[in-house]
Amino acid sequence: MKAAEHKKYLFEICEKIDLDLESPTCKKLKEHLAQCPDCAAYYDSLKKTIVLYRNYEVEMQGSRVTEILSRLDLEDDADAKGHLKIKLPKKPDA
Amino acid sequence: MEDDTKLIAASKAGDKKAFGQLVKKYEQLVYSFSFKICRDKNKAEEVLQETFINAYRGLNSFSGNSKFSTWLYRIVTNNCLMMHRKKSHEPVVSIEEADLFKGTDELQIPHWGETPQDVVLNKELKDVLDRAIQKLPLDYRIVFVMRDVEGLSTEEVGKTLNLSVPAVKSRLHRARLFLREELNPYFSK
Ligand SMILES: [Zn+2]
Repeated sequence: MKAAEHKKYLFEICEKIDLDLESPTCKKLKEHLAQCPDCAAYYDSLKKTIVLYRNYEVEMQGSRVTEILSRLDLEDDADAKGHLKIKLPKKPDA
Repeated sequence: MEDDTKLIAASKAGDKKAFGQLVKKYEQLVYSFSFKICRDKNKAEEVLQETFINAYRGLNSFSGNSKFSTWLYRIVTNNCLMMHRKKSHEPVVSIEEADLFKGTDELQIPHWGETPQDVVLNKELKDVLDRAIQKLPLDYRIVFVMRDVEGLSTEEVGKTLNLSVPAVKSRLHRARLFLREELNPYFSK
């Protein structure tokens, strides 16, 4: 098939890949896919690309709450000590 | 959301226990999103911790106008971009439209073999997917992951990244085409 004729469809496929083909804006595209095996293959592969990445999940082992909170505590402690050293005014009666 | 609002208010007042509950609730989401952008478990771990530290320190700038998760996405994105700039020696790949639709007159689109929707993602396939998306410039990768993988709306992605809706659409478009091209040799027979 001539590439130029189909480029607009290829472009449209990419734009509408996340829409339901049943939606009214996809009517022409759906008709074209039904009679053009190349565009249909393209549609299929693009859809699969997205689905593959969507299905690629990772799970973290355990929780990092303890690490994160103790980092915050450490920083706050260091901060507090810094303030004590630098900013604590001498008591007037000292 | 109701729960979040209370926990956030308490955290803003310095209640670290309340913040710990927020961490527990969102750490899997943050880790998984970080991984999907970095494609590296150690980096994802680092980004996870930095993100919650930054979140705690910056809580006062969270207005509550967006979802807390969307706000966290933005911090993750910033951390990934910063880490990427610091450590990256990856070549910058240009993804121009011209590269994607090569100027051949005859278009031959190979059929992908059976990749059922629930295909088992084995180690080999995961590597293929990781390598392909790592070639994608980070800006494009982030848009693709947010929109197509995490399912945020185009408007939400735009707001999070300070991009206009047309800019999001254009990056998404190119990212999709680029990834399809990269996976094509692996799946077509
Ligand atoms: Zn066609």
